[in-house]
Amino acid sequence: MRRGLVGVVLVSALVASSRAGGPRFLPDDPLTVEPETQDAGDAAPRDIDLVWDLAENLFGRPGDRVRGVRAQNVNTIDEVPDSGWFTNRIHARPMTVDAIGRGPLVGDGPAPGRWTITHPKSAGFAPGFRIRDSAGTVWFVSLDAAGFPESATGALAVANKLFWALGYYQVENHLTSVAADQIDLAPTARIRAESGRFRPMRRDDVDAVLARAARDPDGRYRAIASRGLPGKILGGFEYHGTRPDDPNDVVPHEHRRELRALKVFGAWVNLVDMKAGNTLDTVVPGPDGRRVVRHYLQDIGSTFGAGANGPREFDEGWESLLDGPQVLARLFTIGLYMRPWQRVRYQELPAVGRFEGDAFDPRTWSPRVPPAAFRHARADDEFWAARRVMAFSDALIRAAVRSGGYSDVRAEQLLGDVLIKRRDAIGRAYLPALTPLADFAFDTAGGLTFANVAAAAGVAAAPRDGYRVQWLAMDNATGETTPLGDVVDVAASPAPPPGQYPPGPDAVLTARVWAEDPAWPSWRAPVDASFMRRGDGWRLVGVDRQP
Amino acid sequence: MTLLWPAARVLVAALALPAAAAAQATRAEIIAQAQAEKAAAMPVDPPGLVERTVVGIRRAAIESPSGPYPIVDSVYLGGGPTAGAGYRQYVGDRTVAKVRGLYSVKDYKALEGHLLSPGHRRDTVDLAATVAWMDATQIGFHGLGMDAGIDDRANFRQRQTTVGGEATLRPRRPWALSAALAGERFVLGPGRGREPSIEEVYDAGDAPGLGSSPTYAHSMLSAGYDRRPAAGYARRGGAYTLRYHRYDRGGSGGFDRVDVDLVQHVPLRRETWVLSGHARLQSTVGGDVPYFLLPALGGGSTLRGYSSWRFRDRHALLMQGEFRWVPNLLGMDMAIFWDGGTVAAARGDLAWSRVVHDVGVGVRLHTPAQTPIRVELARGDEGLRLVMAAKAVF
Repeated sequence: MRRGLVGVVLVSALVASSRAGGPRFLPDDPLTVEPETQDAGDAAPRDIDLVWDLAENLFGRPGDRVRGVRAQNVNTIDEVPDSGWFTNRIHARPMTVDAIGRGPLVGDGPAPGRWTITHPKSAGFAPGFRIRDSAGTVWFVSLDAAGFPESATGALAVANKLFWALGYYQVENHLTSVAADQIDLAPTARIRAESGRFRPMRRDDVDAVLARAARDPDGRYRAIASRGLPGKILGGFEYHGTRPDDPNDVVPHEHRRELRALKVFGAWVNLVDMKAGNTLDTVVPGPDGRRVVRHYLQDIGSTFGAGANGPREFDEGWESLLDGPQVLARLFTIGLYMRPWQRVRYQELPAVGRFEGDAFDPRTWSPRVPPAAFRHARADDEFWAARRVMAFSDALIRAAVRSGGYSDVRAEQLLGDVLIKRRDAIGRAYLPALTPLADFAFDTAGGLTFANVAAAAGVAAAPRDGYRVQWLAMDNATGETTPLGDVVDVAASPAPPPGQYPPGPDAVLTARVWAEDPAWPSWRAPVDASFMRRGDGWRLVGVDRQP
Repeated sequence: MTLLWPAARVLVAALALPAAAAAQATRAEIIAQAQAEKAAAMPVDPPGLVERTVVGIRRAAIESPSGPYPIVDSVYLGGGPTAGAGYRQYVGDRTVAKVRGLYSVKDYKALEGHLLSPGHRRDTVDLAATVAWMDATQIGFHGLGMDAGIDDRANFRQRQTTVGGEATLRPRRPWALSAALAGERFVLGPGRGREPSIEEVYDAGDAPGLGSSPTYAHSMLSAGYDRRPAAGYARRGGAYTLRYHRYDRGGSGGFDRVDVDLVQHVPLRRETWVLSGHARLQSTVGGDVPYFLLPALGGGSTLRGYSSWRFRDRHALLMQGEFRWVPNLLGMDMAIFWDGGTVAAARGDLAWSRVVHDVGVGVRLHTPAQTPIRVELARGDEGLRLVMAAKAVF
């Protein structure tokens, strides 16, 4: 892989212009939708090899070599616009219990009647197959492993709702069940034998799959049926670089905030298997007749405490597959160097596996193979992600868990409890890590309102010595600022309005705000909230929160 | 495959914004320009050589597993570093025919043909057939019993031709029952190497069967219970096997041998450490057992601090204990080990007082099911020995 040029590029296309010499803010700032202006219909299917993908990320350092680069797809108010990757949902707008319980599901599951297997399952270890239901709809069916009923299917159902709420494109995962005698085999179904050759699937192939699956007491098999995605299937995406054949894909994936944020979201739900093979790109109709690429987190079943074949290994989620310093420490101490995973207690239920929230520290959590986007995550990316996790109320979390259809109420309770604990740990870790001020606006009296989101979440106290506000007039052409009066001390929001306002129709007024508390010296790093005069009022056009 | 330079080029264009910004009125137009420039250039990023190689090998293994393959294995205990090549051809869904040739630094040679057909009867029956020829040029013989001296070594050459088959029945995992039948032709001769040839030092009284080149009908029955995740590498579980061998020379006699083999792995602190134990008793029954088929101890998988075939007699008891620690669950184990063993002419003489010991330390690189690299340093009463092997010790 060739590298290097990206390293010199530090400015996002979405926020770049003024720092490159143009106006600081443009008329359409802040963007709420990332434009997709080119036709991507020629994007071609490709297969990202599993072993290469893992080896490259485990032993190499793909992507930008320069660290500390700001996410390049954030808009001028430090948010992620809607795009083919992401849709603002929780935190951006109200989320109801009913909405999260349904998640991405827009229709019903497989039609009643017989299922016809058209293909064997082509990826992953969980037993399953591809079917066509009695209405002709294609579904990808995944079953629980024998001995671990409800674990894989429950995880797929619950995580599906959580990642949808977080903003990712998700397939429709329907919880259903099937009896063995309800399954037919299409005459065209073929399977690759150990010999490498394809041959027609036989009934004993189906029986072999079902033999590996958990069977309910009534003899049926609980399953997740994932609706086949529309459009041209392209295969997965990598967490670095861009798709060469998608002209709209201009931000290296390691610099996309929503992919960096998976470090936090993944820690929350213990999504340990983050690889290209668990993602999927499709070409779908876009605006104005153009075809665009949608990027799905397709398989999010490697969550919580169980894998496709039973409980997770003890170190999963605590260390990557190859954590050099840990390896050396254990090597030279005869294993006496201990990590939390060697001591932590689990309440192990088969449907949940090894999933806990007491010893969990999101800052040290790791998937099996950290992808490039993880290595580039900065404190502002983590802060952005943590706000979304903290937006899940207890009721929303329990509603999502309820969609897992657990027959054991203890499993449902445990999973909800742990997710709540891990959510709170994420809030404690990332919200106070930098100046936690947000939601800037003017009140009716012209005062500046803002929120201390760390204090609001209860993970830090309000700053002992209050806040400081410096009003500035910004020259939008150059980005240069001029103080408008002295620094003002305020105990809490709102801050008094500026004594004077910059003149002109496109004037920019900036509030530089920080907090004073000896316990949080990092809070002295100011946040700049910029407002542009639009008509009779001021519109928030900029939030600069660089760690 | 998703390479970086196209994105970099586009963003370099985005960086060139002082001029561009003047020409663009909105943020959306700036992005549209970057996308238009990428569309105009549409970079091509072929995968690099390393990626092509890795992907090619992997896909060949899955999509076209038939074909040649390299081998690092052993011809026979004591043969030294060995390499070879094989060719496999699938002749059914899971049935594969293999031929392979091996050659070691000590001029040990093997040519083998195998037909493996697993997974019959709902994956409960495995069948295998073998035709093999081997030439081991300098196998050690120190005499019988525990009193055989290190300086008493002589060498012999063993050429062996085997034609046989085996069936394994797994009525209910983890139980397995096996039956095998083979014709084994042994041709013994003067050994090579620095040590004297066996006939120069020993006679038939010291080395039973010396001078003969027998042919046996070798039958075997076994029953096993194996709860290990994989036989080639395990940190938990146990395997307990009882084997009965019959070596029959027709009217010229023969002998029996019973093997009891016990393996147990006990993980501690979530597999931070593993206590592993192995015990093996080999006991011959009746008849004349030729010197080259006597139970033996010594070498890289038994008494690691002693040379290969160091101790031979009609009965052999081996005990091995390992304290393993696991720096990396994915692929690396360390071990401190102890081996003890003894041989005797009578089973009742397998006494603790006659056990010899060694201790050592080792490193193993493994996959979830195999241990392709095992390097150990062992020290017994006769000095320090380096063990390099391509499989688990037990």
